Amino acid sequence: MRFSGFRVIKEALTGYKGWGSLWRTPEPQASYDYVIVGGGGHGLATAYHLAKVFGAKRIAVLEKGWLGSGNIGRNTTIIRSNYLLPGNEPFYEFSMKLWENMEQEFNFNAMVSQRGILNLIHTDAQRDAYRRRGNAMRFAGADSELLDREQVRAMYPWLNFENARFPIKGGLLQRRAGTARHDGVAWGYARGADLLGVDLIQNCEVTGFRIENGRVLGVETTRGYIGAKKVGVAVAGSSGRVMAKAGMRLPIESHVLQAFVSEGLKPFIDGVITFGAGHFYVSQSDKGGLVFGGDIDGYNSYAQRGNLPVIEDVAEGGMALMPAIGRARLLRAWGGIMDMSMDGSPIIDRTGIEGLYLNAGWCYGGFKATPASGYAFAQLLATDAPHPTAAAYRLDRFARGLVIDEKGMGAQPNLH
Amino acid sequence: MTDLAPITALGGSLARVQSFGALAIAENADLALASLALRRGAAQPVPMGLSLPGPGLWHAGNGIAAFWTGPGQWMIEAPGRATEDFAAVVKQAAPECSVTEQTDAFTAFEIASTAGAGPILALMAKLVNIDAAAFGPGSATRTGLEHMSVFVIRRAEDRLAVIGMRSAAGSIWHALETAAARLQGD
Amino acid sequence: MLIPHPLLGLRDAQEFTYLGDASLLNRPDGMAEGAAEAFYDYVYLRDNPAGVHRELWFHEQGDRSWLVVTRNTVTHEILGAELARDVALAAKGGAQ
Repeated sequence: MRFSGFRVIKEALTGYKGWGSLWRTPEPQASYDYVIVGGGGHGLATAYHLAKVFGAKRIAVLEKGWLGSGNIGRNTTIIRSNYLLPGNEPFYEFSMKLWENMEQEFNFNAMVSQRGILNLIHTDAQRDAYRRRGNAMRFAGADSELLDREQVRAMYPWLNFENARFPIKGGLLQRRAGTARHDGVAWGYARGADLLGVDLIQNCEVTGFRIENGRVLGVETTRGYIGAKKVGVAVAGSSGRVMAKAGMRLPIESHVLQAFVSEGLKPFIDGVITFGAGHFYVSQSDKGGLVFGGDIDGYNSYAQRGNLPVIEDVAEGGMALMPAIGRARLLRAWGGIMDMSMDGSPIIDRTGIEGLYLNAGWCYGGFKATPASGYAFAQLLATDAPHPTAAAYRLDRFARGLVIDEKGMGAQPNLH
Repeated sequence: MTDLAPITALGGSLARVQSFGALAIAENADLALASLALRRGAAQPVPMGLSLPGPGLWHAGNGIAAFWTGPGQWMIEAPGRATEDFAAVVKQAAPECSVTEQTDAFTAFEIASTAGAGPILALMAKLVNIDAAAFGPGSATRTGLEHMSVFVIRRAEDRLAVIGMRSAAGSIWHALETAAARLQGD
Repeated sequence: MLIPHPLLGLRDAQEFTYLGDASLLNRPDGMAEGAAEAFYDYVYLRDNPAGVHRELWFHEQGDRSWLVVTRNTVTHEILGAELARDVALAAKGGAQ
C-alpha cells in the first residue's frame, strides 16, 4: 500500500475500504540476525535503516507495550540542530537533513514542519554565547541567524520585551528547525521497516539476556527465547533497568520530564520559541493547542508523571515570556522518563559484551535525534564501525575523560 | 557634609507599618540578630541566661530570644538593639561558639492580629507550605515563601514574624501585603 | 512529595534540592590502589533502580541538613528519611 494524493481521493470516494493495517503482526521466529529491543522511535528507525541502508535481513523489533508507546509519544515534537560542541552538532545536523527527506523516503506523512526555532537572548553574555553557538552550527553546515531585538519584535510583537528581570535582547534563529508529528514518525518508520520485512513484535518484554563466554546469544522474553546474532538495545528511559539484566551499570539516571498542552487557540505562535532565562519552550500545534515544556523534575523517577512545583515553574516561565497566554487553560499534562546521562549527551556504542549494542542516554533531546540515532545505530550494528557523526558517543568516554558536556554541569544528571 | 541619615530595609526613614483589617504588618528595623553555632564536640551554652530551644522552636527570655536554625545552630534576637554590636555581646556570652553578626543580612516583619489566631493561620496558609495548625506559639522554622528563603516564627497565638533576606525586603513585603489584602477582601 | 524530616517532621520536597544516589556518601580513597577505576565508578555509574532508592536530599530552604531519603522511584512513595550525617557516621563505625 502506497500513500499518494490520488490514493487519498480514491479511498474517499470508495468509503475508505481499501486502507489496511500499516504493518503486519507476526509471531516471533526462533532466531534473527538482529534483534532490536525497544519499539520506540529510535528502535524503529534503527530497524528501518538496517534494512533499507545496510541491506540487513532477518530483523526483529521487540516492544514491551505497543509501538511508539514511550517517549516518541510523550515529547514536545521539536526538531532542531542548534548544538554547540563538535561531538554533538554534526550529528544533530545529520539528523536534521534526514528529517528533511524522511517523508518522501518512507512514504508517510510525519508532518515535518520547518517553522523555525527562536532561542531568546536576555543578556549581553547570552548574546555572546549564542553568537558562538550560531557560528559552531554553521561550521557543521547548519543554518543560524543572530537576530537583534527589533528583528525578534517583528516576528513576535506580543512577547514581553519590557520584562524588568528578563528583557528580550535578541535571539538565535534556526529557520530549518521546527516540529514533526511525533507519532507519525514512529508509524512511518514502523511501516517502512515492515515493508522491508522487519518483524515488529509487540507485547513482548525482554526479561533477560542469554550471555555465554562474553557473547550475547539471544534474549529471554515474555513470548519465549529469541536467538540473535546481534542485539541492539534502544529503550531510553528504561536503559538502566534493561541493561541491569545484562549485568551492566550505566552512567545514567532516569528522571521524569513533564510536558503540557493547552486548549486550542487561534494560530499566533508561528514557530518554536525558547525562553533564555528560565526553562520554557513552546510551539503551537496544527490543532491550535500550545505545546510546551520545561525542566525535568530533578529526582530519579520511573513514574511517567511529575509533581506540581515544576508545573508552577513552567507556568511562571511562560508568563514571564508571553503574558498573553495567561488566560489559556491547560488541557493535559504528562510525564516521560528520560535517560539522563552524566554529561547530558547520548551513547551509541558497543558494550563489553560481544554482540550487545547500546543506544541510550538521550536526556530530553531524543526526539529530534530519532532519524540519525536510528541510522547511526544501524551502521554500528551492521558494520561494527560508528557513523562518523556519532563517533564521540562512546560508552567509555566517561572513563577516558572525553565527556561531551554541552551545559558544563559535570556529572550531575539532574542539571543537564 | 553628605547626609548619612539611615534608611530601613524598605528604604524609608521610618519603619513601614500597614493595617489590613485584623492584621497589621510592621517592618521591624530595630531587631538585632546574631547567629550562634556550636563547634565540634562543644557543650550547648546558655547565653545571657537564655536556654537555647530544640529543633523547630523559638524561645524568649531575659530581653532576648533565640530560634533553632539547624543542628547545633541558632539565631539570637534582641529587640531594639539593631544599632549595637550585638554579635560581640553574644560572643562574650558564649565564647566557645562561632558567632556571626546577622542584623544587616536579614530584615524582620512583625505581623499582629487583633482577632486572635484565626487571621494568622489564614495568612500562613496563603504564604508558606507549613502546617499552620501544628505551628503553635513558640514554633520557628525556615521555609520558602514565594521562592524566597525565610524564617517564620510564631511569637504568640496572635503574633507571627517573618525574617527574610534584607535584599529581598521589598519582595517579601509585597508578598505579605498582597496576601493580607486578599484576606481582607474575603 | 512530603519528606519526613527526622528533626522537623513532614516538609514539602520543594524546600529541598536533590543530589542523587546515597552511594555518593561512600567516597573512595584517592590514594588507594585502583583509585582511578574506583572514582570512575563512584562519579559516573549508578544502579538507577526502578523501585526503592536511597538518595541524598539537601534541606536548602530549611535547616540545611543533608538527608538520606528512601523513596520508591516508580510510585514516588517516600519510605523514610535519616540525617545523612548519622548515616555517614554509622558507616564509619560511629567514629567522629
